[in-house]
Amino acid sequence: MSIEIRNISKRFGNFVALDNINLDIPTGELVALLGPSGCGKTTLLRIIAGMESADGGEVLFSGEDATHLHAREREVGFVFQHYALFRHMTVFENVAFGLRVKPRKERPSDAEIKRRVMELLSLVQLDWLADRYPSQLSGGQRQRIALARALAVEPKVLLLDEPFGALDTKVRKELRRWLRRLHDDMHISSVFVTHDQEEALEVADRVVVMNHGRIEQIGSPDEVYSSPASPFVYQFLGNVNVFHSRQQGAYAEVERGEVAEKATAFVRPHDIDITHQPSEDGLQAKVQHVHPIGPVVRIELLHGSEIIEVELSRERHELLQLTVGQAVWFRPRQMRVFGTDTSLRSTPEKQAFLF
Amino acid sequence: MKSTRATQEPVWVRYTLLTIGLSFLFFFLGLPLLAVFVEALAQGVPVYIEALKEPETASAIWLTVGIALAVLPFNIVFGVAAAWAIAKFEFKGKSLLITLIDLPFAVSPVVAGLIFILLFGSQGTFGEWLSEHDIKIIFAVPGMILATLFITFPFIARELIPLMQAQGKDEEEAAVSLGASGWQMFIRVTLPNIKWGLLYGVILSNARAMGEFGAVSVVSGHIRGETNTLPLHVEILYNEYNAIGAFAAASILALLALVTLVAKTIVEWRMKKETEMLNTVLAPEKT
Repeated sequence: MSIEIRNISKRFGNFVALDNINLDIPTGELVALLGPSGCGKTTLLRIIAGMESADGGEVLFSGEDATHLHAREREVGFVFQHYALFRHMTVFENVAFGLRVKPRKERPSDAEIKRRVMELLSLVQLDWLADRYPSQLSGGQRQRIALARALAVEPKVLLLDEPFGALDTKVRKELRRWLRRLHDDMHISSVFVTHDQEEALEVADRVVVMNHGRIEQIGSPDEVYSSPASPFVYQFLGNVNVFHSRQQGAYAEVERGEVAEKATAFVRPHDIDITHQPSEDGLQAKVQHVHPIGPVVRIELLHGSEIIEVELSRERHELLQLTVGQAVWFRPRQMRVFGTDTSLRSTPEKQAFLF
Repeated sequence: MKSTRATQEPVWVRYTLLTIGLSFLFFFLGLPLLAVFVEALAQGVPVYIEALKEPETASAIWLTVGIALAVLPFNIVFGVAAAWAIAKFEFKGKSLLITLIDLPFAVSPVVAGLIFILLFGSQGTFGEWLSEHDIKIIFAVPGMILATLFITFPFIARELIPLMQAQGKDEEEAAVSLGASGWQMFIRVTLPNIKWGLLYGVILSNARAMGEFGAVSVVSGHIRGETNTLPLHVEILYNEYNAIGAFAAASILALLALVTLVAKTIVEWRMKKETEMLNTVLAPEKT
């Protein structure tokens, strides 16, 4: 089922949670709503689910108006951040709930319910826990049961609110991969909310980056990471060096102080080259710190009073053999320049700094 | 055993405090309770039983139980509805509603009784209309039920509001998104989650309903065998120097109190177990 969101707005008192949101989610896609807390992503998800009503705008399911459809009629599976399992029911009864509350005519027989529930429990690989209570499960197990419960009613859309937010890193990674597989097997549309950029980039087909109740960018994980549409997206997705600069012809002039036309250049730490030899389009700096972090080595360079973060691969670092206090030259391989109005400027062709 | 813990008080301090506490309990709670039974049984069990079989006493016992039972369904419905509204919704006037729920705790029971006299008494606001239609509220059982209702309605709501607030509305929302109707959600999800809290509130409000004196006294009119509840009857008997009768009736009230205490303890223990179950530390993920 496709979801279309048209001009959705929502306020809580004076706080604007959503400001005129438009978004299309085609059938079968796994979409991540990504943003810092308070950006409106959970509110948007709850409006799609029908648990919150928008102040204005429309929600369309498969092209049909669903704005005023009650949550129970939307055929939407919702997975909560804190699982919201029914604490007084066994795992089996939790998953069976959606089937048991169906109107008598549509309700499957007890044998059929048992078959379906056990099928779902083995899908989430937890059939051996059917008789336990939620309090006896670990966080990861609870989240998988919550998923099985949501899938029991065969929803057309699966909505997940920070599904892995309360889990530790290792379980989280496992569940992420598992969710991706599940989504591909079930042929449904899924939307999940997250504030973790790594999670969004790894799992989703498409990432919707939100900030202050607005959509900053919609695109594939690669698009939003390598060509961010706004300074916010640049800074939210991964580390970045910010240079206040002035664009002039093919060059971005990096400057401190007032200039006529201000612009800001963004360079990812791994897009910076370091050399020992002076180069004409490079800048000189001093090595201040060298931190080997797992597969990469993070270098802090001091240029004037500014600190520039550089990430090198281990091999590259072996070759350079940088030591603290050394003078080096650095040059960005790739960068983006935004004007003061946060509009994107044409990227300088020669990608160089000049003073 | 000698303890070396730094936070432990010396032995003599602990025993002194314990002695003070226990003797206070004995003199102010244990002794009076004992006296009730000793007085009631002063002339032997047969006389005690005779006193209870006295038609007026027997009718007082039944009226007390009857009023308590009549009040209960109203209290449950109101308590759950109010707690639900306060815990799960945001609306204007919410704090006003919370304050209103506490009103019966703040107002003297006698004033509570007077309110109903002013409303439904023969000189009251609705007095004329009521007498025209031949409906008796004041100095009759309906008035006593109303007064008891006023006194006891905060108990269940007070018990449920913090409980429901702590549980949040995630489970209810999950139930609705799974297709449950409002009623199914309440019966299958909300009610099982609050059942022990609800029972606790029921026990407390029941104890209060059976023991209420002030408010009921104002509206009852003290008609023997008709509008006399146990607490009122105890007073009447005592004023007539019928010590055995008074203490026998009082012993029934005391017994009811003891039953309440036991029930309350059991429910408290169950509630504690439930919360412990919810807060159990999770084993690390294995699969």
